Amino acid sequence: MRNVTLIALSLLIGIVLALTTAWSQDDMTVVDNAAFDNPQRTPSVFVHDEHNEMAEIDDCAKCHHLYEDGKLVEDESSEDQSCSECHDLEGSGDQPSLVKAFHTNCKGCHQEQKKGPIMCGECHIK
Amino acid sequence: MHSFYNFVSGPLAWIAFILFFGGSTYRIVRMLMLVNEKEKFIFTYMSWRYSLRSIFHWIIPFATVNWRRQPVLTVVTFAFHICLMATPIFLLSHVVLWDEAFSISWWTLPDAMADVMTVIVILGAVYFLVRRLTLPEVKFVTSGSDFVILAIVAAPFVTGFFAYHQWLSYPLIMCLHVLAGDIMLAAIPFTRLSHMLFSPFTRAYMGSEFGKVRHARDW
Ligand code: HEC
Ligand code: HEC
Ligand code: HEC
Ligand code: HEC
Ligand code: HEM
Ligand code: HEM
Repeated sequence: MRNVTLIALSLLIGIVLALTTAWSQDDMTVVDNAAFDNPQRTPSVFVHDEHNEMAEIDDCAKCHHLYEDGKLVEDESSEDQSCSECHDLEGSGDQPSLVKAFHTNCKGCHQEQKKGPIMCGECHIK
Repeated sequence: MHSFYNFVSGPLAWIAFILFFGGSTYRIVRMLMLVNEKEKFIFTYMSWRYSLRSIFHWIIPFATVNWRRQPVLTVVTFAFHICLMATPIFLLSHVVLWDEAFSISWWTLPDAMADVMTVIVILGAVYFLVRRLTLPEVKFVTSGSDFVILAIVAAPFVTGFFAYHQWLSYPLIMCLHVLAGDIMLAAIPFTRLSHMLFSPFTRAYMGSEFGKVRHARDW
């Protein structure tokens, strides 16, 4: 009886572990557009890990930059925050609006490297 | 395809806008200079009051006898021109690009509404085409260039519509769209599309002559 309980328990724990890792597995395939009031486009394709591997970006702060008191904090990143926590829909001064932050970041690098999508419909695929 | 896109939406777009604004200014200044040389007396009876009164009547649907005489044409002409000018100016995609290029932005249409307005422009162009092909009195005064002009105006809307819906090869259509837009902008001052520049002057002239000289209405 004790053996059966042990087996059942470990099975259960195994299943729960498998399920949670499956859930938390970071297979982000698009950039969530929930922060926008009334999204006009499909969310942009962006397979996070695959993209960064293919584009050979090691520095998380290339996208997840960190600012404190308006100053860029070198060698630190902000991947625990979403872009919309700092970039609002309107933008102000040097801080671009949320759309513009995304577009400048994504398209800017693609233009610079002459690789990756630059036209609306290449990211916002219908 | 990306380098071609960057070319048509970069240097070529600059050239198109310079031709549009520069050419428009040139055409208007030239016209005023010619009048000044040849028919200076016109200035003596130009009047703000009669000019604006005439323009005001002609930009209201059905406010003139001519508009009332041809109700279908009037509705099509107004719907066509309003959508023709409002859609590209207030299009979200265009404003996104202005914002990225020059950090300027303004109110935009919802994409779904812009899409409907695009269809209205395309249908308007089809109506003008059919009219030219079928009505004897219009056919008589139609030449090849009328069809070219109609095509120049319809092209950015047809390609923009296809691009928005991502039909056919998207990158190719997108490039063709921007090219078509550049061509249309550059063509405005130098083709019959310049009626956009001259129609206010023609109306002002007619209004003034009818109002001040003939003491009549021109609507
Ligand atoms: C090319 C740009 C880019 C790079 C490089 C990048 N990320 Fe991201 N990452 C994003 C974007 C965009 C989001 C979505 C943010 C949002 O929704 O506000 C994101 C989201 C995340 C999230 C939240 C995950 C989720 O599913 O919501 C984590 C965690 C993360 N990134 C970690 C990292 C780490 C660690 C690195 C470095 C190894 C990294 N990122 C590099 C662009 C990037
Ligand atoms: C901790 C707050 C914060 C977070 C999180 C943040 N940003 Fe920023 N970002 C700023 C500030 C502040 C500026 C203004 C910089 C300046 O004053 O020049 C800025 C500027 C920018 C700029 C324009 C200048 C530049 O660096 O190229 C882009 C593009 C940008 N952010 C994109 C993003 C993206 C994309 C994300 C999410 C992946 C993100 N930001 C997350 C605070 C943040
Ligand atoms: C620091 C540079 C950089 C940044 C920032 C960046 N990208 Fe890219 N991206 C690339 C490069 C390089 C490629 C081309 C990879 C290749 O084809 O080898 C690429 C390719 C892509 C592709 C095509 C992938 C495929 O499967 O063909 C998409 C989609 C994309 N990026 C979306 C984004 C989005 C969305 C963002 C912003 C959240 C972004 N990128 C930010 C460099 C960048
Ligand atoms: C490199 C990829 C990329 C390209 C190219 C691109 N975008 Fe985006 N865009 C994004 C990302 C990432 C976001 C953030 C939210 C999301 O996923 O939609 C975004 C957000 C938006 C938003 C706000 C959210 C919404 O749906 O209303 C609009 C509007 C938009 N883009 C329009 C455009 C237009 C118009 C073009 C072409 C002129 C364009 N984008 C080109 C990546 C791109
Ligand atoms: C430099 C010139 C131009 C550029 C760079 C440009 C760019 C664009 C872009 C990026 C789109 C969005 C396509 C998509 O959603 O994938 C678009 C759509 C469109 N553009 Fe332009 N454009 C230009 C000129 C013009 C002109 C001159 C006109 C008309 C007079 C025009 C009319 C339209 C229309 C009608 C749409 C589609 C609207 C819809 O169906 O939703 N464009 N354009
Ligand atoms: C204030 C600006 C404008 C005014 C007052 C104006 C006025 C007119 C008028 C009165 C007509 C005749 C319609 C009819 O047959 O009864 C017309 C036709 C037309 N206009 Fe305009 N217009 C303006 C701007 C434009 C612009 C900017 C364009 C395009 C770039 C344009 C393109 C056309 C076309 C294609 C036709 C149809 C020609 C045909 O019959 O085949 N117009 N316009």
